[in-house]
Amino acid sequence: MDNFNKVPVTILTGFLGSGKTTLLNRILTEEHGRRIAVIENEFGEVGIDQGLVINADEEVFEMSNGCICCTVRGDLIRVLGNLMKRRDKFDYVLVETTGLADPGPVAQTFFMDDEIQNEFTLDGIVTLVDAAHIDQQLGRSDESTEQVAFADVLVLNKTDLVNDESVDNLESRLRGMNSMARILRSENANVPVDTVLNLNAFDLDQVLQNRPTFLEPEYPFEWTGVYKVEQGQYELTLEEGPDPNMSLVALIDQEYSEEDLNSSAEKCVRLYADDAKALSPGEVISFEEHIDLQLMSDGQKSFFIDIDKNCNLGLFTQHTAEEFDIKLLSRDSEDKNMEVPVTFERTWVAQHEHDDEVGSFAIEREGDVDIEKMNAWLSKLLAEKGVDIFRMKGFISIADDPRRFVFQGVHMLFDSQPEREWAEGERRNQIVFIGRNLDEEAMQDDFDKCLV
Amino acid sequence: MSSVNLIESKGVLRNNWNIEVDDYVIACEWAEGGNILLVGDVAGGVNALDGKTGKTLWQKSSIHEGNLLAMRVSPNGKLFATSGQDGCILIGETTEGSVIETIELGQGWVEHLEWSKDGMSLAASISKNVYIFDCKGKEKWKSEQHSSTVSAIAWSRNDELATACYSKVAFYDVIENKTKQTLQWKGSLISMKLSADGDIVACGSQDNTVHFWRRSTGQDSMMSGYRGKPSSIAFDSTGKLLATGGSEIITVWSFENDGPEGTTPGQLYHHQSFVSDFSFAPQGKRLASGARDGSLAVWGLKNDGHGGSIGTSQMSAQVSSIAWRKDSRALAAGDARGLVVTWKVKT
Repeated sequence: MDNFNKVPVTILTGFLGSGKTTLLNRILTEEHGRRIAVIENEFGEVGIDQGLVINADEEVFEMSNGCICCTVRGDLIRVLGNLMKRRDKFDYVLVETTGLADPGPVAQTFFMDDEIQNEFTLDGIVTLVDAAHIDQQLGRSDESTEQVAFADVLVLNKTDLVNDESVDNLESRLRGMNSMARILRSENANVPVDTVLNLNAFDLDQVLQNRPTFLEPEYPFEWTGVYKVEQGQYELTLEEGPDPNMSLVALIDQEYSEEDLNSSAEKCVRLYADDAKALSPGEVISFEEHIDLQLMSDGQKSFFIDIDKNCNLGLFTQHTAEEFDIKLLSRDSEDKNMEVPVTFERTWVAQHEHDDEVGSFAIEREGDVDIEKMNAWLSKLLAEKGVDIFRMKGFISIADDPRRFVFQGVHMLFDSQPEREWAEGERRNQIVFIGRNLDEEAMQDDFDKCLV
Repeated sequence: MSSVNLIESKGVLRNNWNIEVDDYVIACEWAEGGNILLVGDVAGGVNALDGKTGKTLWQKSSIHEGNLLAMRVSPNGKLFATSGQDGCILIGETTEGSVIETIELGQGWVEHLEWSKDGMSLAASISKNVYIFDCKGKEKWKSEQHSSTVSAIAWSRNDELATACYSKVAFYDVIENKTKQTLQWKGSLISMKLSADGDIVACGSQDNTVHFWRRSTGQDSMMSGYRGKPSSIAFDSTGKLLATGGSEIITVWSFENDGPEGTTPGQLYHHQSFVSDFSFAPQGKRLASGARDGSLAVWGLKNDGHGGSIGTSQMSAQVSSIAWRKDSRALAAGDARGLVVTWKVKT
């Protein structure tokens, strides 16, 4: 049976109180013309209004070989297998997991069990996040981290209960963990139904349409500030922040058109690749050099910048100015400190923005791969690191084949298929990996060795 | 009803009659010495058909709210029991279809039903619990709660019931209310059958293996190499042959002599898609099998489990239930589109 005839399944995950039941009710109300079956593992505080609801205890089936990548959900196999027997079949299935569910076995069920695979297709994994509580939960539980990592859509719910700044920070943290997911904000799980259903999330064209930026370049710095300065000595102050040190590059004559900023950003990427020069408070920051400010001491820290002409000063910092409350001060004639306002500022998509063990990155290359080398590499990679690779998706361009190869995987399970032919000028390789403690550099290098 | 063009049956099979019921056939079973064929479909319809002509004797519809999950005819062919997603069990009699008792077990799916060999007890599983009732529906025994949903039940003796769930098979003395034996294995057991003497326990597992134990000696073995999960497994009437599914091929292990360890199993090739159900004839070493593509075959087997096909036919969709008449001279099968076919089987 081809995918067209299979019944799509959406998995809804998220901690208790994140709004899963509210979203579920919303879907059932808005999609009342369809036959939707709901498999619930949790008795929520709010009942489900309509639709066929089947309660099933979560039953995780491990295999005798002990491989976690082969672990499936027995309850889903049983319930789904039974649902599909009737002539008046369902046209959509929603699976609501408990807050403590590991999404791995749920997703794997749709790859591992041949009977389920014949009848159903995993449309997408939607994870609801309680904006007020997820920060603590992410630190405390593997389940919530994995629910974020596995998601195709992250619904940042209850944003009305926290301030905008916290929501922005949270979004950037989630983005660092899972660059593949589309992030939606909501107050009462009130996201449009078509943003969570029929995603074809495993269809990569869709992924790119929904999230064209997931392959946006990443930078080793998060923030740029441009200041109008005159000849003289300036003081850069930093309050206590999230890290005991912070990198920066200072440039003079920084203009702030898009073009100027991008060319400076490129320059700074190269400078950031150099070893950083450690600088203690009180020392002078030099230009066009990778500096690492040492911020271990308590309280406010000051560094100095000597300006020898009137110009624009550009600072490219590893973290945003607000995280350390960075201020640039000038000394006036009476030796009093005056804050210099920022003329222009912008943020960049940062690499490894946070210390989360879980993260994602994309490999993007021109050229064709040698399929045998690629298979050998992936087999080895998944055998060794499959446990830590939550998901991957991508296309590859295979030498001498006019078709685009699409592949995707959940842990060690992986599936690759030729798809339509490449359009003119489209050929390239793109793979996204989401996982725990992945060695990006090694994986990028290994991929390069697979190129023809 | 749409007309069905059956491919002509070959070999020992001679088409008898066919009929369509409303939905996916959950079970077809012979009753009243073969005079009646009882067919239960997933939508809760039960049809009693004249065994010789296929004429409808009586009919019921939607006897369970939600899906019908199981239907079993008692060993003497006088009673039938059905169960469903509504948590209910119905016990009725086969000639008129009158309902003797409706048992409500509460919320949950009653997935498995088995009559004891003497026909005096009916075992049923609902989620993690197993119950035993008498023919009138009176509760005789209830198991303690299992650690996970019960995936199979089987009677080893009239007073001893086996249950399978994730990672374990347990034998209960249902008179003394004691656990007699527990067989542990870390794996998810999805099917279970016992040999005729109750000594060999065979289970199909989610990880594409078949595990079996000999209760008397404690010796156990695992058979691997299946492409899919062996949800269908069956012993022949002597308990010497064990047929297993899990791919297009039926693999038959023989317990003759010191087997099946160290022996080469019989491999039966005919079906082009995964085998979906099979059943051994009550007499002799014949096996009837059906597959997801609707193909059906009858096999003649030797003591070592090897053999070949001696008859073939074709249904309209996945073969979901196969039943031999007690004299092994007739066969019935139901499929996923509700087609029911019966054949005369030449000896």
